[in-house]
Amino acid sequence: MSGRTLSDKVIDAHTVDEHDTNLFRRVTVDAVLGHDATTALLIDDFERRGVSIWDRSRVLLANDHFSPPATAERADISNRFLAFAREQDIPNLMLDRGICHQLLVEHRLCQAGGLIVGADSHTVMAGGIGACATGMGATDILFTLATGTTWLRRPETIAVRLHGELPAQSAGRDVVLALLAVLGESGAQYRSLEFHDESTTRLGQDDRFAIANMAVEIGAKFGVFVPDEVTEDYYLQRDGEFLGTPVRPDADAVYERVIDLDLSGLDARVAKPWSPANVVPLRELEPVRITSAFLGSCASGRLSDIAAVAEELADRKVHPEVRFVVIPASVAVFQQALRAGYVETLTEAGAIVNHSSCGACGGIDKGVLGAQDVCVSSSNRNFRGRMGHWQSRTYLASPRTVARAAIRGVLAPDLYGTREDS
Amino acid sequence: MNPISGRVWLFGDDLNTDVIHPPAFYSLDPDKVRRGLFHGYDPELQPNLEPGDVVVAGRNFGCGSSRETSIRALKLNHIGAVIAVDFARIFFRNATNNGLPCLTFDDPADLERLTTGQRVSVDPDRARLRTGDGTTIALTPPGEFVRQIWAAGGLLELLPKS
Repeated sequence: MSGRTLSDKVIDAHTVDEHDTNLFRRVTVDAVLGHDATTALLIDDFERRGVSIWDRSRVLLANDHFSPPATAERADISNRFLAFAREQDIPNLMLDRGICHQLLVEHRLCQAGGLIVGADSHTVMAGGIGACATGMGATDILFTLATGTTWLRRPETIAVRLHGELPAQSAGRDVVLALLAVLGESGAQYRSLEFHDESTTRLGQDDRFAIANMAVEIGAKFGVFVPDEVTEDYYLQRDGEFLGTPVRPDADAVYERVIDLDLSGLDARVAKPWSPANVVPLRELEPVRITSAFLGSCASGRLSDIAAVAEELADRKVHPEVRFVVIPASVAVFQQALRAGYVETLTEAGAIVNHSSCGACGGIDKGVLGAQDVCVSSSNRNFRGRMGHWQSRTYLASPRTVARAAIRGVLAPDLYGTREDS
Repeated sequence: MNPISGRVWLFGDDLNTDVIHPPAFYSLDPDKVRRGLFHGYDPELQPNLEPGDVVVAGRNFGCGSSRETSIRALKLNHIGAVIAVDFARIFFRNATNNGLPCLTFDDPADLERLTTGQRVSVDPDRARLRTGDGTTIALTPPGEFVRQIWAAGGLLELLPKS
């Protein structure tokens, strides 16, 4: 028998029923994630069918889209969601604690080798710490809540081997944008992306989350890092012990494709409107005057992202014609940023720091864009109309690039001093 | 599943869910969800839809969000089927789970033979599309599991009865 990839092993370990005629399998799941906007869509069916939850201790619900709600309609939806969570007596209801994907990786329910489904496409992010996690819609999630199982196909795996040394000013965002440039928006469609960090400096955990998060922008079902000492450190810090069973691929695992990505010399990347795969090196971009800058969403807004921005903004000012909105990914991150003094640095420089939530990513909350706005954002999608008006334009970039553009007022090819200036 | 008959609405590649159904129309109010379909792309499109119309598209249809409001919007406008070169996985699951047939072209080049406004009929079970002039375009037959969900009337019908 040929060797198995990481996701092959995780799926095999969770299989309860194999359909012999085709590739579909019924698998058990270790955890289910849901948020206000998508969970609200399943409550009617849940109640009408008299469903009961198979194991409420394995469900994590968070209100992150409307936290707190900005309109009466959203307040009603939020209230419906919260009433449901309380009626169902969900022990892991995270009220106004941040973005659900960040809350999941901060929680013991998320373990290496686990199989997790969530009612949001960015559920893949938990792959950053070795879980096979994937997003689904409300109907699928209702099925899982009722049965503790779901159906899926064993995906082919694309191995991504990261080599070399990532320059200090580059980040996980630049890595995943470089990968999007290679694979495009559907290059990993239905596939598992399996990341092997063989770089000399090893990517930090926050950079791995940024990469795993955007695996879905390449179409992937999973975006999972092979657990290593960085992963183990994360779990030790979080849980005080290593509870999971880190699953690693066989040495002779069969891959559909292997991509070698050299991180040495990988400089800032930017995705132009209106696709995360419309990627160019920043140094080749025509200068763009910006009106808005955003650091946040589940793709960033973690402590190292905020630290990079604080480093850039220290003793500087945000450009007077730019509104810079910063949203920490969770309240825990917010508190860490407060203790580190970053929030003071950011607000002193003129940035706005909002409560942990999805914010303007998805056009939901404070900071949405008008027709004339041009935004540079560390969120994960620059689809047309996503952050607000159909005519608005969003460029995706790393947190550091976002900060430099916010200071300059221009997303410029020389933000990293490619000319004489440092 | 019953055959569908309507007009083609043609789209390109990578049509994401934020374009199919803009976030501003996210709601539990069916009328608001219905009106949001393709609103940013072309505000005149939704009012001109007729029951049974067929969405035809290129690669990676439905990439992006998992919000099922995009499926609800298609269904509330009585879109009969979506035919594409291929689908993003969450969209395909959501549509299938809710009984909206998604089928792919057997030969992706057949996409070129269809234009907006053309009258077509689609037979999901026989995986076949016919144009008004009698041309038949082969679609890829769905697997047994997808047929099972269609036949049941949606994924939730497969839930054990309590």
